[in-house]
Amino acid sequence: MRHHITLRIGPATFRIGSAWRQPIEQLARLYAAYPDVQGAIADFTVRLQPTSLLRRFVRPSIFITGDHGLADAAPMSLAHGLLAAEMGMNLQMALGWRRHLLLHASSVEKDGRVLVMTGESGSGKSTLSALLGERGWRFMGDEFALLDCDTGAILPFPRLVSLKNRAIDVVTGAVGEARMGPLLTATAKGDIRHMVPRADAVARMDEGGMPALLLFPRFGHAADVRTLGQGEIFMRLTQASTNYVAMGEPAFTGLTRFVRQVPARAIDFASGEEAFAMVDRLWEELA
Amino acid sequence: MPDLNATTAYRRDASDAVATCILNDLTLFYHHRSGQTHMVISPVPEIMERMDDGAPVTAQAMHDRLARDFDLGPQEEAIAEIAAHLDALVVLGLVRPA
Repeated sequence: MRHHITLRIGPATFRIGSAWRQPIEQLARLYAAYPDVQGAIADFTVRLQPTSLLRRFVRPSIFITGDHGLADAAPMSLAHGLLAAEMGMNLQMALGWRRHLLLHASSVEKDGRVLVMTGESGSGKSTLSALLGERGWRFMGDEFALLDCDTGAILPFPRLVSLKNRAIDVVTGAVGEARMGPLLTATAKGDIRHMVPRADAVARMDEGGMPALLLFPRFGHAADVRTLGQGEIFMRLTQASTNYVAMGEPAFTGLTRFVRQVPARAIDFASGEEAFAMVDRLWEELA
Repeated sequence: MPDLNATTAYRRDASDAVATCILNDLTLFYHHRSGQTHMVISPVPEIMERMDDGAPVTAQAMHDRLARDFDLGPQEEAIAEIAAHLDALVVLGLVRPA
């Protein structure tokens, strides 16, 4: 393709090609601190291509595809090209990665031990991981936690943090404009802005850790902490994994060990401060 | 339809083997042959455990084996229920008709 960039995030290398210059330039700026892997053989390719020849020029419309694609992926406007590239990378991981069990979860590390947070879009897991990453934790990832089914360790996948709507101002206030990407307005998920993880998160992105606490955060509810049965935890984690079935027995072994060994709580909170206090207390008590 | 006369025999073959993991509120079976994970609760794990020897067993015989360890209530109802579980396990591919 006319414009391209190769990026390595944790164990995965992506080659992203684009018919347009803009998304690649934005990626180059935001991923400037990541390892230089130009010319490396990529695990995945992502292609941002026009939905038709005309759409390269007139009201440019991006179709996201690559090694793995979704037939019914909706085209996106060129203004959202950065988001398209990030979604393309996520899609390749979700559909194609087989070396680790993929959990749709954020993760942060302290003293070599990992806090894993899983929940649906809007649960606050991304925002929480981004802010904890500014408060003495090492940010490991906001979208996928990679479970090594042999060792039981969680490995980082610290791509840009995708922040939505209200979280944008909160996080921009905490990290400063220099680490923020362009504001992408009126996407399918509302306003989105990407945040560059701290330098230490990138420098240590090959360094995993053993999981010590699993949280199911839920933002926007009165403060509450609940225990969950191991069966429910297992069920929720298989639902949060895109490759549990494809991975076969190693995934069963790895995930059941995770569920039996890692203490878990569901937490509800109405503000960041409430969430930080809960995380600190539960980490102290359980991890 | 459950076999109410309880004459149908069932067995588990070596190729029906599962990896078992007991979580605190349910039991998981990973079925090697299909790659499927089954989440089950009592009495399914107890029935499966009593078929580990691979020998054919009828619902009546399974009832007698279970009755050594559990109070199963009225016999006829218990046998019908066990037969229904065995048929369901056949559908899942975890158990086969003998």
